[in-house]
Amino acid sequence: MGIGGPDKTAVEFDGDWKNFIPIALTNSFLNIVTLGFYRFWATTRERKFFWSHTRVIDDQLEWTGTGLELFIGFIVALLLLGIPFVILNLVAQGAILQGAPIVAGILALMVYIFLLAIIGLAIFRGLRYRLSRTYWHGIHGGSDNPGFTYSLSYFWKTIVGIVTLGLLIPWASTSLWKERWQQMSFGPHTFVSNPRWQVVMKRFLLCFLLPIGIVVALVAIAAASAQGGDGGIAAGIAVGSFVLILYIALPLLALIYYAAYTREVVSSLSLSKLEFEFTARSLDWLLLFLGNLGLSILAFFVGLIAASIFGGLGTLGALATSGPEALQAGIIAPTAIVLMSIAFIIPFMLVGPFVRLRTWAFFIRHFEIGGEVNLDELTQSTTAELKQGEGLLDAFDMGAI
Amino acid sequence: MVAVWHFDGASGVRQTGALVAEGDGFRLHLGDVVSDLYHWPDLVSRGTRGEAEVYGLKGHRGWQIGIEGYVEPDVARHLPTSEKFGRWVDRMGLVRAAVVGVVASAFAIVLVVRSPEIIAPLIPSSWERSLGDAMIGDFGGRFCNGAGGQEALNKLVNRIEPGSQDLKVHIANINMVNAVALPGNHIIIFRGLLQQAKSPDEVAGVIGHEIGHVRNRDVMQALLRQMGISIVLGGVGDAGGYASALVSMTYSREAESKADQHSIKAMQKGSVSPADTADFFARLAEAEGKLGDAEPLLAYVSSHPQSALRQKAFATSAIKGAPYTPAITPTEWRALIDSCKNDPNVKAGGFDFF
Repeated sequence: MGIGGPDKTAVEFDGDWKNFIPIALTNSFLNIVTLGFYRFWATTRERKFFWSHTRVIDDQLEWTGTGLELFIGFIVALLLLGIPFVILNLVAQGAILQGAPIVAGILALMVYIFLLAIIGLAIFRGLRYRLSRTYWHGIHGGSDNPGFTYSLSYFWKTIVGIVTLGLLIPWASTSLWKERWQQMSFGPHTFVSNPRWQVVMKRFLLCFLLPIGIVVALVAIAAASAQGGDGGIAAGIAVGSFVLILYIALPLLALIYYAAYTREVVSSLSLSKLEFEFTARSLDWLLLFLGNLGLSILAFFVGLIAASIFGGLGTLGALATSGPEALQAGIIAPTAIVLMSIAFIIPFMLVGPFVRLRTWAFFIRHFEIGGEVNLDELTQSTTAELKQGEGLLDAFDMGAI
Repeated sequence: MVAVWHFDGASGVRQTGALVAEGDGFRLHLGDVVSDLYHWPDLVSRGTRGEAEVYGLKGHRGWQIGIEGYVEPDVARHLPTSEKFGRWVDRMGLVRAAVVGVVASAFAIVLVVRSPEIIAPLIPSSWERSLGDAMIGDFGGRFCNGAGGQEALNKLVNRIEPGSQDLKVHIANINMVNAVALPGNHIIIFRGLLQQAKSPDEVAGVIGHEIGHVRNRDVMQALLRQMGISIVLGGVGDAGGYASALVSMTYSREAESKADQHSIKAMQKGSVSPADTADFFARLAEAEGKLGDAEPLLAYVSSHPQSALRQKAFATSAIKGAPYTPAITPTEWRALIDSCKNDPNVKAGGFDFF
């Protein structure tokens, strides 16, 4: 079967915000009343929506994960992380009490090492879980690898990235991408991935060296003008520019690098005779993030207005029941305060779902598939069936791809 | 007969055909092939996809049929409804699930917050002792053993808590005005506190307070609470963090008041005057008073009751004309406060982060 065509793309997302609102609203509502306990089921509902509105070639994707398995995964992760932490805490405290703070320091360091090792495991298993719950034409993906080798690689490659002052980050992240995707399969086919770190290195160096260069230049300028006797102003400019770099230039440069990185790693991925492509450029990413930021700002103002309305109503209610002296005493009915808080919180609760909707739509819009798929050869995956969800990944609150 | 499309879960080839009801189930007619008989109860909803309602089969991953368009009633009544909010919410209904959710989460908060209180008494004292002994050991050689110091301390403890062999009270060579109760009935008085104290009665009041924490099993509670927090925070800490968490183990204000009550009663039984302890709190209150208007606020936030209130509690417990005698003799008192100075082997330092 050939793919796509001049008038029809191979992948398309047709879910829009109007269809999504009922899900987002009821999810937020149930999350509030259950203090977040519902979120495993909320995630599942969101994914079912995203997947089922995503057409790949001639059929929609299907998400078959359940809230229960996410919940079980969460509990497993809690025990897996919690019990060692409790023991470690007691041992470290004992070491302190017995006058061996160095031992306690080493133990504290071990916590970070343990966390670093387990993050790799979480990323791998999260991806494996998501593929195993993704169906297309009744066929699913997965992996038979439990991910321990990957977690080891993740550990030492991350360390290498850090000790080389970040210079080897492009190499570390591309090779890790390759390592995890080559263990993944869909149906009978294994993913093939060959990203080249050299391709992203140039842009990485730009993003890496530019801020350093600017800081050096600023320091030089500040020093020069300080000698000229204008020390206060020069220092002010230097500090101001530094803050600007930290909060605007650095995230922007990171985004510019990330855009190149994502294009390279996705475009180097293939499955049997299918080739993948990702086309989002830096500007597209920027618009995505600005839009998401805009949603948060919008939520803030909507929340503020809604809360003021409830506050006003509360004051009127107090006036009606207790007369003008209520105003002097500053009484607002407690129910009004509760309503004000809820009115303020709800818009914020909706930001998350809509950010995820936009992000999913963004990914699908820029995602392309070429080549061909032979459905006769696309037989069912033989990968091991997983019993639980992405508990660890969930515990670290990370994306999987 | 209902038109369906079908994936058999074994290959990705889409088949089209018809679903034909038969007995208590149905068969799929796909071209010339007629399937096995499937039973209605094995059918599960897999939601909507495009225009189609999709159904799967229990125990067959990937097997699915999609139905678009008209469904005759004798098939429709067998088709399972699709899951909406998740199984447990659907079963209860949204409104009932919300009400149950509010009640259950309120209950869960109470349970989580109170769990240390609930669990602590269930932990055998022998476990706590082993844990405490293992953690504290010889305190890195910083327990002071100057001539007569420990004897004086034991005598003082026995005055207010007769038959207290299970308590392990020590002086530590650390320059902090503090005393702590640690797991396994350990009570540690820091050198700084002894140097600041004006009389043995005052120290008796402080020790009585710490004994109160031990007897009320507050220490285990605080330890459990701290463990819970370390799980929530991911257990990430540094050496200083571990130490200060342990020494500043916080108790509820109720627990603090109860420990004060224990101290007051113990001193009464041992005929030790509470007046000096009241003075001690008066001095503390004065120090807090210098903080200005923020003080009542601070007391509200911090776990300890206001020093002024504690001073009052100790002061009013004094009985006029009671036969109070000093907790220990002046010679013993000297030996106690010099216990660290008189011990050439005691180690110091290593507690810089306190």
